[in-house]
Amino acid sequence: MLTFPEKIIFILLVISSLGLSWISFSKMFRVIGSGSQPINWKNVIVNWPKGFAAFIGQKTLFKTRPIIGFIHALVAWGFTFYLIVNVVDVIYGFIPDFHLLPNHFIGDAYRFFVDSFSVLVLLGVVYFLVRRFIVGDEKLATNQTVMLSDAARVGMRKDSLLVGLFIISHVGFRFLSATFEIAQHQADWSQPAATLLSGLWQNMDLSSLVLLEHISWWLALGLILGFLPYFPYSKHAHLFMGPLNFMVNIPRRSMATLEMIDFEDEKLEQYGAGQFHHLPQTQLLDAYACIQCSRCQDACPAYQTGKELSPSAIEINKRYFVNENLSKLSDGQLIDIPLTQWMLSEEAAWSCTTCGYCVEVCPVGNEPMVDILRARQDLVMMESNFPKDAMESFDKMENYGNPWGLSPQDREKWMEGRNVPLMREKKEADVLYWAGCSGAYDSRGKEISQAVVDVMNKAGVDFATLGNEETCTGDSARRIGNEYLFQMMATQNLETFEQYKFKKIVTQCPHCFSTLKNDYAELGTELDVVHHSQFIGELVSNGKIKPEPWMEDDVTYHDACYLGRHNGEYDAPRDVIQSIMKGGNLVEMEQTKEESFCCGAGGGNMWYEIDKGERINKIRFNEAASTGAKTVATACNFCNIMMEDGMKVTGHDQDMKVMDIAEMVMKGL
Amino acid sequence: MKIAVLVKQVPGSESVLPILGDTTWIDEAQATFVMNPPDNFAIEEALLIKEKIGEGEVVIISMGPSRVQKVIREGLAKGADRGIHLEEDGTIETDPLSNAKSFTSVLKEENFDLVLSGLQSDDTGMGQTGVLIGEMLGMSTATLAMEVEIQSPTIRVKRELESGWFQWVKLKMPSAISIQSGLNTPRYPSLKGIMGAKRKEIKVVPASDHQTHSKSQSIDKVFVPQTSKQTVVIEGDADSVVSKIVNILKSDIKVI
Repeated sequence: MLTFPEKIIFILLVISSLGLSWISFSKMFRVIGSGSQPINWKNVIVNWPKGFAAFIGQKTLFKTRPIIGFIHALVAWGFTFYLIVNVVDVIYGFIPDFHLLPNHFIGDAYRFFVDSFSVLVLLGVVYFLVRRFIVGDEKLATNQTVMLSDAARVGMRKDSLLVGLFIISHVGFRFLSATFEIAQHQADWSQPAATLLSGLWQNMDLSSLVLLEHISWWLALGLILGFLPYFPYSKHAHLFMGPLNFMVNIPRRSMATLEMIDFEDEKLEQYGAGQFHHLPQTQLLDAYACIQCSRCQDACPAYQTGKELSPSAIEINKRYFVNENLSKLSDGQLIDIPLTQWMLSEEAAWSCTTCGYCVEVCPVGNEPMVDILRARQDLVMMESNFPKDAMESFDKMENYGNPWGLSPQDREKWMEGRNVPLMREKKEADVLYWAGCSGAYDSRGKEISQAVVDVMNKAGVDFATLGNEETCTGDSARRIGNEYLFQMMATQNLETFEQYKFKKIVTQCPHCFSTLKNDYAELGTELDVVHHSQFIGELVSNGKIKPEPWMEDDVTYHDACYLGRHNGEYDAPRDVIQSIMKGGNLVEMEQTKEESFCCGAGGGNMWYEIDKGERINKIRFNEAASTGAKTVATACNFCNIMMEDGMKVTGHDQDMKVMDIAEMVMKGL
Repeated sequence: MKIAVLVKQVPGSESVLPILGDTTWIDEAQATFVMNPPDNFAIEEALLIKEKIGEGEVVIISMGPSRVQKVIREGLAKGADRGIHLEEDGTIETDPLSNAKSFTSVLKEENFDLVLSGLQSDDTGMGQTGVLIGEMLGMSTATLAMEVEIQSPTIRVKRELESGWFQWVKLKMPSAISIQSGLNTPRYPSLKGIMGAKRKEIKVVPASDHQTHSKSQSIDKVFVPQTSKQTVVIEGDADSVVSKIVNILKSDIKVI
């Protein structure tokens, strides 16, 4: 099809496009390479199916916004398919009268797919442009209270328009070129849309059609050659970087389990991330993977209640920081501006409840929560700059072994009048029951611990507890960023564990559960830790206990973040609740399981107050109340405290109640 | 500027306080010990003064058994330069005059410009040791400082008086000043501080070498105060409850 001079020009264009792309892509990888903790490329071997599933399956897009996710899938599949189409088109340009398998059903199927996907991609992108620029979906905007760079507020719209117009032009001109080709020859019903449109050109003479076909061919492929080097500057880089992100992410035992810091290592001078280059490379890659869809912002309990935090703003700010400092960063220069001046405000850092919803919904595998945890480590351990109330909790954990600051000698008070064997007397037991600080000191928490041991006694479980020898697991310290204090607490507990023999640890606190199970394993001690929902569930299914169904009203279960999203346990607590249902139903809230909304206490937020916007627990309790259930079931002492408080502030304390699943079972025994 | 900060380790406010058999002190083995909370403010003030002037040395000094090294380290982690530990064996001395003499005997060679202390200790609450040391070292003294301004060679101190009154006094240094709680926000040590503190010097001096054994006072007995308050619940409709309360206020408590 192409004339000889056209062929020469095309080859020169390809060479320069590839050259420029080499430059821009290597700049991007140099920027990513300026981060700490080099990417472990071996992770690709294990994680490639995740990236593949995200790229081909578009699986991660359907979690929230399923309709938009579907339209995106059409555009993505179409665009990906176009990479093959482009190659075929180049061959068509170079070899006269080349067609892919003409008069063969595979060739016809190919042309049918190109034809239909062209239409679907065009419709899809038009839908996205209308959504952003005409309807103005508010989910794409970010509150003014959030620190989001001015360049980003303007640049994001420009970038979206550019990407949208690029896809429309690329696919559109390819489609037009097909119509001009059909008009020169005859109708091709394997390309119904192009054939229909070609009817418009029936009065044109052949030379005009040839000219128009050439122009369209050049625009379709020229745009690709022009855009290729531009990819790393636009958010459209997510096309490659999103799937790559899934493949290189640092493997975690659970969402908020960061790598252990070795305090013995005297070469370490920086703890956590205070500046751009302190962030691990995988987290700089996050900025390139982010397509700025703000699904995480939709999910974030802090953002939804008017705090300064938006997880998407973190990624977007990173990206615009790179754009503004590209030459310095790609030259390996260090820019020592604190993250809190451009990535997220201090208040934003403290507003995170580490619920993990942002990580869960991200379609490209980003971990904004981990950025926050690393920023907190810097603020606490390097800058000593954090909420005063958190400071008091640290002192209390250190001095009294619990964040309430109550006497360590009072840990056994909840056991009074009950058969609760102590490890220091028994030395050995099948189950080590871990009451946790909330289970030992909080008034409702104590009742829950009592219910748990009552259930164990009914089932004849051989258990014992540490009593006064127990000390805080260090969960709050770790999530607030005080890794040093966490390791202190953990070491102390691990030393206590060594003195006794037990098979597994059972606890009703998902924070203790996740910390003992995942974070302690990072310290080198693998413990068999079971949540009380799992343990009681097993006692019920083994027939060790047979609770009498008694619940006649509807119940709704509030998922604890550290049990659900962080550890994937959604069924056990629900099964336990089902065992006592009599007449009533277990009804689900609008946001449930993977998409559950936090109670507001996690990530250390139990110990300090961010006095801004709505209270998270109030919003969540209203959601629970709107199901019509009379009982809100919890499987976490902190959720229980927050939900009871939410119940009081929403005025539901007369008509509703909050119960732990252990209490519900015990009532039936 | 050479600043000494006197710190004490005391049972924490939430600690259990079982009384020893001879009822002269508590069973320390069961208690949870913390930095005397008012001393946190004295340490912070010393560090702020040093930072403001841009030079100087902050020395943390404590007396007690080996456990008190924990609070000295806490001060070092926050940024103090070195520590001195007057180590006691067995029973701890509670008489402020006797303690002040011991401290003075150690501090006199150091020639401090300032000796800061918390306003009082949370255990025996005497509030005297700091001032006594100042007097014995021939320093000017001020108590309950709300604000401190260094104007070498003098120091201006805003003191808290009774009923919301304040007083600015100007002292010639060297001075011993007790710091009122709440005048600053004590910092939390950074990890660099915690790590650095491990390498800072704590000089251990046996307290017995400096004790005079001339006590001016001693503890006869410690005991838990008996609560004697009684709560009366007044029931009935609003009118009768109000008239009953008015009666109680008039005839029983005699406030109206």
